[in-house]
Amino acid sequence: MATKRLCFVIRTLPYKIEGSRLAMTHAIASQTVEIYLEDGDLVEASVCFIADGVLNCLKNQAAMKHYGITSIEQHLKNSLLLDMKVMICKEDLEKFGISEDTIVKDAEDLGGETVAQIVPYSEIQKEMEAVDHLLFC
Amino acid sequence: MKLGVLMSDFRTGSDVLDRLSAEKLGIIFVGNGIYHATVKEGGKTSPILEKSATYYVLTEDLESRGFTSANVDSRIKPVTYNDMVDLIFNEYEKFIWI
Amino acid sequence: MGKLTIGCFASLVGSVSLDFTVKLAEAAVKKGHKVDLWVSGNATMLSKKGQRAFKDYSALQKTINGLLETGNFQMTACEACAEARGYHKEDTMEGCKRFSMDWYLASCFSADRVLHIGGD
Repeated sequence: MATKRLCFVIRTLPYKIEGSRLAMTHAIASQTVEIYLEDGDLVEASVCFIADGVLNCLKNQAAMKHYGITSIEQHLKNSLLLDMKVMICKEDLEKFGISEDTIVKDAEDLGGETVAQIVPYSEIQKEMEAVDHLLFC
Repeated sequence: MKLGVLMSDFRTGSDVLDRLSAEKLGIIFVGNGIYHATVKEGGKTSPILEKSATYYVLTEDLESRGFTSANVDSRIKPVTYNDMVDLIFNEYEKFIWI
Repeated sequence: MGKLTIGCFASLVGSVSLDFTVKLAEAAVKKGHKVDLWVSGNATMLSKKGQRAFKDYSALQKTINGLLETGNFQMTACEACAEARGYHKEDTMEGCKRFSMDWYLASCFSADRVLHIGGD
């Protein structure tokens, strides 16, 4: 019985390239990975937003309206609904002048209880050190 | 952690690299990242080379872009794909691609 | 000998990151390591059969076929990414697999090293 921890670090902007979307969908896939593993083995995924990547966390993304696709906001909410660990870099939010009330911090409207953590970069560095593998997108 | 960073771009990613720290840090210039190893913009070498790290550059990507090992800053070791495999399995534990 | 899992989102045509991926996989297999290659997003097209080589575009199918023959290399494509691009199961290159994204995470579980190339 073992648990492997993977950390998806999102550093790119949404929509123009698929990086942040695929990071979210791959991270969410950790919920069904057991079908490929031995009994008791687990993969735990966390997601960290740094640099330009914090702009993925803004509320009110109308991607469904304009592109007909699920927004990164919705994927972020889904990950919180699944109790995934989500960390957002505080310094990078400040750099862009983004206040906490304008980003997705919870999935309360969907019945979720887990909240995104807005943390100094040093906490994200600790997470990167703690996990088994890093996946930058 | 023992972290290997594959730096694949010249104009982006430095902001991410600046903040990364590791007990053992290796920076491997690949793709367009090789310009960090070769170009002196405004007469200055890339600020990335000021980090406390061991530096490598992929020879094949240098040559593809019109450079040779002779053009590389003395702090950087040219490596082949074979060498990269050894770096991956023997020198560092985690890898990121920027 | 170890196992390296590489995940790539970069496109076959229009980026050379996938060339890097395949060359690294080839070098690792030649040294006796096992390599799992997960192609997702635009990289999915690497696993499509019938690729024609032109001098102006990356052509990696031959190398992939050689790697698959070693038995120490497997390539798996993201099924949803493929279908979204109009590439169906019958179009898959012989020897390649198609699964959902959790396959990649399971491969990471048993890997000694993971290199994730998150896209261009």
